[in-house]
Amino acid sequence: MSVVARLEEEALRPEQELAALLSEAKGDGAVVTFTGVARPGSKGGQSVYHLVLDHHPALTLQSLEEIAVEAAARFDISHVRVVHRCGDIAAGEAIVFAGAAALHRRAAFEAADYLMDRLKTEAVFWKREVGERGSQWIEPTDADYADRERWG
Amino acid sequence: MKILFYGRLAEAIALELEVGASPGSSVADVRERLAAEHPGAAAVLRNERALSLVRDRLVRDDYRLAAGDTLEFLPPVSGG
Repeated sequence: MSVVARLEEEALRPEQELAALLSEAKGDGAVVTFTGVARPGSKGGQSVYHLVLDHHPALTLQSLEEIAVEAAARFDISHVRVVHRCGDIAAGEAIVFAGAAALHRRAAFEAADYLMDRLKTEAVFWKREVGERGSQWIEPTDADYADRERWG
Repeated sequence: MKILFYGRLAEAIALELEVGASPGSSVADVRERLAAEHPGAAAVLRNERALSLVRDRLVRDDYRLAAGDTLEFLPPVSGG
């Protein structure tokens, strides 16, 4: 079992994270990953130039670690990898990578889904879009909170 | 007493503020005073998903602040 949770201040390279997870997952039959990417447009259709993710010096990494550890305990998986960007993230760049490896696919799919539902609503970041309509704070939607509630 | 703010609260109030709260004041006392002084931030300060911290630990509204405590107000978080 390995649990990796990391706060990344520079570029997040999902292909490198996948390679690391595959390397750890020798003997497993399933690796499921999710990569979140900064969108170039807002919900209202205006251009977004970049995202800014503020973080807390202690609680942010702690929240990533807690979510990763709880996924490892909850599902029949062998490896978890969570990497989250902070700072300025240009449209098109990766914000978050969440991956799980398991003997069989179902647990890996569920763990990746769980990781993202919790990261969206509980990872300690404050996110704003900077674009043609200025700077706008973005908070989880009711759907995000409802998704989180599915897991109890 | 030093107070730290994050996210939209930092934008609306300041990253850091020194206030003259007397020891024994509760988190709720300080928050309501800030909400009165910064009406533009009142809704976020009072949001049920906002968090309060002392020494990197979550504290409840009835937590009594000691001299030298630094209180942190965190608006609702948003990752992913």
